[in-house]
Amino acid sequence: MSSPTSASSAATPRLRRNTMLWALLAMALFLVSTLLGLFLRLFQGNSFPAVEPVWFYSALTLHALIMVGAWFLGSMAGVHYLLSRYVRPSSAISELAMGGSVVGVVLISISTLLGKFGVGWYFLFPLPLYPNGAWSPWATIVFFAGLAILAVFWLAWVLDLLRAIARRYSLSMALGWHILRGAKEPEVPPLVLITTVSLVVVTAALVAAALVLALFVLHGSGRANVDALLMKNLTFLFGHIIVNITLYLGVAILYELLPAFAGRPWKTSWLVAFAWNAVLLLVLFAYLHHLYMDFAQPRWVQVVGQTASYFLSLPAAAVSVFGSLALIYRSGFRWTMASRLLVCGVLGWVIGGIAAVVDATVAVNSVFHNTLWVPAHFHTYYLMGVVLMVLAFFDHLSRELTGSDTDVPAAGWILSLLLLGGYGFLAMFYYGGATSVPRRFATYPEETLQGVIQARVAAAFVVLLLAALVIYLSRMAARCLRAFALCRNAS
Amino acid sequence: MIPQYKALLAFLIITAAATATFLWVTRNTANKERLNPEAVSKLRSRFAITCALLLIAALALTLPHLPYPRGSEIPDKVVFVAAKQFAFGLSEAPIASDAQWEAASQGPAVRIPANRLVEFRVTSLDVNHGFGVYSPGGTLLAQTQAMPGYVNRLRLRLQNPGRYPVLCLELCGMEHHSMRGIFEVFATGKE
Repeated sequence: MSSPTSASSAATPRLRRNTMLWALLAMALFLVSTLLGLFLRLFQGNSFPAVEPVWFYSALTLHALIMVGAWFLGSMAGVHYLLSRYVRPSSAISELAMGGSVVGVVLISISTLLGKFGVGWYFLFPLPLYPNGAWSPWATIVFFAGLAILAVFWLAWVLDLLRAIARRYSLSMALGWHILRGAKEPEVPPLVLITTVSLVVVTAALVAAALVLALFVLHGSGRANVDALLMKNLTFLFGHIIVNITLYLGVAILYELLPAFAGRPWKTSWLVAFAWNAVLLLVLFAYLHHLYMDFAQPRWVQVVGQTASYFLSLPAAAVSVFGSLALIYRSGFRWTMASRLLVCGVLGWVIGGIAAVVDATVAVNSVFHNTLWVPAHFHTYYLMGVVLMVLAFFDHLSRELTGSDTDVPAAGWILSLLLLGGYGFLAMFYYGGATSVPRRFATYPEETLQGVIQARVAAAFVVLLLAALVIYLSRMAARCLRAFALCRNAS
Repeated sequence: MIPQYKALLAFLIITAAATATFLWVTRNTANKERLNPEAVSKLRSRFAITCALLLIAALALTLPHLPYPRGSEIPDKVVFVAAKQFAFGLSEAPIASDAQWEAASQGPAVRIPANRLVEFRVTSLDVNHGFGVYSPGGTLLAQTQAMPGYVNRLRLRLQNPGRYPVLCLELCGMEHHSMRGIFEVFATGKE
């Protein structure tokens, strides 16, 4: 396996420059979103008694969309860069996606912050059409326009990466089907396999998103009477997959970077190919666990949802997580900030995954659905999982491009602070879920007042997390800017 | 122990085991050694089989406890629930109009006998809501969604008398957090 350093030799200055811009954009959005998250927890801790709840719900909507968008784009940027070792994705499409993403985020920000549009990231049908005086129709239109722009430009980027892969590998080859049939050649890097699986699924998700938007328009204009259960299925098919696939794109980066620190190869074996093809199938049905409490869904569909959600964890645990640990065990592993972040990211993925499997049990979901357990598990595999994996990539690449190989002496302390702040914040979510505290409540009623103190404690941990992030990301942002300037000069 | 604590305990135990494994591996990365691929493969197979068996066992243990109603059971009492921004209307008679919902949401609490099977027929007159039944002590006991155009049937057998609050567990608008309903469980024999 070549070292990550060699990745730069395949990347054009334009690609390097773009990747640094994506890194800066993702980090900026991440910080904004984390600040919004702090506001949300402070609000739930009754820190702003004079502020109307409408601001909580609009901030909640913006927080979630920015956070998901930032790291979907960050992981896409990482995968795009690393894929350039093997194929030639278009830099122009990536730049278009960046422009579209900025416009989309601005529109969604206007809709939520100026228009007070507060329906949650999932804009569950038909809530956007029932403002009850809280927001104006223009805010709904601007919000959906922003989402439509994101869907179009993201889909263009996804399809371009698939196009680039298809120019070198056929679909069956990229999915490793020849390996499943027993062939050893040609070799398909895990990065290509996982990216192909992820992007095929993302394409389905973005099509579902487009369908949801179209059905909203038809219903809103009175041209159709849309079924609420169908809309909910489509919404979670899209939403769950986007979050899930963001994680898998992070794992694709892991497969490419970790071997360089371990000095051991990580190839697409039969087991790796089988695992990711199983993911391709199972991930399409795992979203059903979002609808367990819709008793109108057929019983067998709910059983499929639990079974798919359970067994989706198996390829991850037995192949990717086990593979990561086997790769680094007694390998003479090179510990840097980037490699530490990667390993911590795998652990976060595991812990979030365990909590997800617990919640994916229908009988348990009866008492956990839409409590704080839900944000607990997805914040774990997001914040302590994929975010760390993608940051590891940006950290490593920005050092490589600027020639600053060594970590700062305080790197260990910064990482410890980040983990303390992150897991402390998450612990309050888990405890909140176990004590029946609902999610998405601006303030807590008397039955769940324990949520107030939990929110205050969580906010204190978020402050620690933010402190670590500001220190760490400001240094990395400075490096990214230097790298950007170097690449611009080189081109 | 309430189901939430059992789930939390299971989560903590598995998480502790996973974290300990990570710590052990990360403390054994320094000395470079050539691993025996066959031994790794054997260990991986055992790990995968163990995980698969645990998942199958969990499915076998939990799937019989699905909260969905079975046709073979006939409820002792039916309560009709209509959700609308921002209150639940509970009534012993069907709620089909805004006026009926208003009367049901502002009227006296519906009374339910303890230890009897009660079916809540839950729907919505506007957007999606979550019908979350809490114990008088504030523990979430069960829930179902209130969806426009659908009736979800939640069956419960509540043992302890008292006033049971209902909170909305699906974001439904600006007063979502204050949306509630209530019903009263009475000891059988008193009425």
